[in-house]
Amino acid sequence: MTISSRGLERAWELYQDRLPYARVMASQGKKVIGYFCCYTPVELMTALDLVPYRIGGRIDEPVKEADAYLETCVCSYVRSAFDLAIRGEYDFLHGLVVPHTCDAMWRILNIWKLHRPLDYTYFIEVPHMVGPSSCQFLEQELKLFKKSLEQLVGRKVTDEALRDAIDTHNRARALLQEIYQYRKADPPLISGTEIARVLAAGRGIPVEEFNELLLQVIHDIRTRESEPCGKKPRVLIYGGEVDDPAIIELIEECGAAVVMDDLCTGSRSFWELVKPQENAMESLAAHYIDDIRCPRTFRPGKPDERFLYLVDFAREFNVQGVILYLYRFCDGHALEAPSLKAYLNREGFPVLHLEEEYTLLTKGQLRTRFQAFIETLS
Amino acid sequence: MADDTDKKKEKRTQSARNVRPLVESMYLRAHQAREQGQKVAYCMVMSQYDEILAAMDIVPVWTENYGGLCATLGTAQPFLEKAEAEGYSNLICGYARTGIGFDALRAEIGEAPQTPDGGMPMPDMLLGSSIGCDTRFKWYQALGHYMDVPIYCIDVIVPPVNRDLYEIKDFYVKYQAEQLRGLVKFLEKTTGSRLDPDRLMSIIHRAEEARHWWWKAQQLCRAIPAPMSARDHFNIFVPHHFMIGEEATLDFYKELYQELKDRVDSGIGVVDNEQYRLLFAGGLPPWHSMGIFSYFGSLGAVFPAQLAYPPPDPFTIPDNINDPIELMALRSFERFTYRWEQAHRGCGDFWVQHILDLVPDFNIDGLVMHGVMSCRATSMGQIYYQQAVQKYAKLRTLFIGSDIVDIRTYSETQTKIQIDNFLETVETHRSNKVRN
Repeated sequence: MTISSRGLERAWELYQDRLPYARVMASQGKKVIGYFCCYTPVELMTALDLVPYRIGGRIDEPVKEADAYLETCVCSYVRSAFDLAIRGEYDFLHGLVVPHTCDAMWRILNIWKLHRPLDYTYFIEVPHMVGPSSCQFLEQELKLFKKSLEQLVGRKVTDEALRDAIDTHNRARALLQEIYQYRKADPPLISGTEIARVLAAGRGIPVEEFNELLLQVIHDIRTRESEPCGKKPRVLIYGGEVDDPAIIELIEECGAAVVMDDLCTGSRSFWELVKPQENAMESLAAHYIDDIRCPRTFRPGKPDERFLYLVDFAREFNVQGVILYLYRFCDGHALEAPSLKAYLNREGFPVLHLEEEYTLLTKGQLRTRFQAFIETLS
Repeated sequence: MADDTDKKKEKRTQSARNVRPLVESMYLRAHQAREQGQKVAYCMVMSQYDEILAAMDIVPVWTENYGGLCATLGTAQPFLEKAEAEGYSNLICGYARTGIGFDALRAEIGEAPQTPDGGMPMPDMLLGSSIGCDTRFKWYQALGHYMDVPIYCIDVIVPPVNRDLYEIKDFYVKYQAEQLRGLVKFLEKTTGSRLDPDRLMSIIHRAEEARHWWWKAQQLCRAIPAPMSARDHFNIFVPHHFMIGEEATLDFYKELYQELKDRVDSGIGVVDNEQYRLLFAGGLPPWHSMGIFSYFGSLGAVFPAQLAYPPPDPFTIPDNINDPIELMALRSFERFTYRWEQAHRGCGDFWVQHILDLVPDFNIDGLVMHGVMSCRATSMGQIYYQQAVQKYAKLRTLFIGSDIVDIRTYSETQTKIQIDNFLETVETHRSNKVRN
């Protein structure tokens, strides 16, 4: 494979051209399947040559048409994403898959279908509890999802194809983890903004292509002659579907280096690999129940057990402060935040807790909040 | 709130009047249980575990009910403010904010705050579930900050409507049973007592009988004029949701049935001049301002049915199941999927189907939905319901907006204007229909 030295630039282009790129794929006969959340088992789609496309919103535009169809007391990321759908931006999708992750996800599929019918839709019931019975239940659910996808494409997934797909997605997870290791240096060898663009690019292209991009990015990091930023206060960002790099960019513009994240669109979706087992479906079920630490799942334990991984992240990446960047109306994160903040404070990490709309239209206010917090870390 | 003139226009049932003393006795019993060393559990409604608690003599405290009670009595504000001061968003569930605020204050002052019915007694355990919304398991985890008691949560799975029920039934029921068995194991460990399956089975039978009488009573509300007011509807669900399995609950619904039957037989309606029949079709009631329903009544509008707390759909206990946990799991599946087949064939959505089922049966003229600022689970989709319903039944819909608990989000004047305008459109729509 030829490694170009343009990985980071390519990521930037792909991020900016996500939608046109997906439209081209669709026009070339690829079946592009939209999906929400990091709980959708994308491996099953890849195994059948379908292209999983993570549904995003548009942070720099107000919601224009969705208000006529969706209540305002709903997560504004979901409203923004649905607004794009209503405006026809997602008309290239052949289908849509929604896992039952939170209350907004539970409701959005039927609303979408009513106003933007699709050839294929599927709703996956994902247990909210952990444990063996939850894994067994999800395994059954995923078998039915697989069957439904097989009917869509008209052929069966072979065991080999599924294992290959899991390996390919695991390769992406491993490469991303490798890239994250370069954030540990001080100053980091890749900025938070650059990584956010890479992640955003990856959400709209086939995983094989993403893996090539990641190799290019690693090559870029290894061969770059200067650090992307100087020594700055190092922060970790925690939250949900922060899918637009502009938020990370804004934090870095305000004088911090975002060196680690716990976001649905970040490490949360790839920090653990799917563990190989004899039964591939069992592996997938165990992964999606156990390995993703979204607050939508009930995990027993006190804060020092539930959030220990986050403090481990913070220490491993030499973080000086944590930004809880939460969207309004996201109940899972909102109910977790005070306990999490108190725990992080006890462990010696200053915390900025923000509850925001999914928008950059209030950039000025956000900038002030970020700057004030980062100054305290300096 | 609606003034006294509004209230006088509605004829309340004696059954509904009997609810408040039942609630007082419920809290009194919980406090006494605590003092006497009986195990007390914080619980979430509709979690499918009610009869298990009754069979194990665990005294439930329904924390959502306490939020509603405080809102109704106008005492929720200090708790809401305390929760917000503790860092909880003012957008999370009003019940949860009330409960968290209450427990945060108790932790701070060392005793239960002075509140209605003595407040909630300190629990020995917290029993959450995933039924209905995410808050039902996140709330209790948040309480870990204020009390050191064990938490156990179970999944309660609602099958997706677009599925082949025959394909999913076995593993959905199996999972539900496993979740309930996990709970029983936890309860046995926490209480040191074993669950008696025969006692549980007997309680299930009694509970189902009570549900049957409630369902029958509800069917009487098809009558014109409607025999029960909206405010009564929002009271009479209480024994079922919070005291199921008790003899008193069974008696309550039998008496309710008889009272409504007497009214129907005598042609007694909620209001003297019934003009509009409305369905409360989305959201939860604005507990802080229930008088608004009397305002509807004062304008001749009644609510023969409501979907916030409807009676559970019919379920017949099969003869061939001896394991009560298996039975409860099956019951859960059957109830949740009661309207699925019809929804498959028709509108594709179980909630919309429920509305469509009720409209002809209860002669509904219009829909009312309450957009609850702090409740995604009951508010998201209301516009969709309205739009989906329009494909099958042309009905006018009123959307009012506030909260279940937090009165700061509510404007009575604006709501009354909305109601006035809405009833005018219902009238116009009806006149046009007659003309055409």
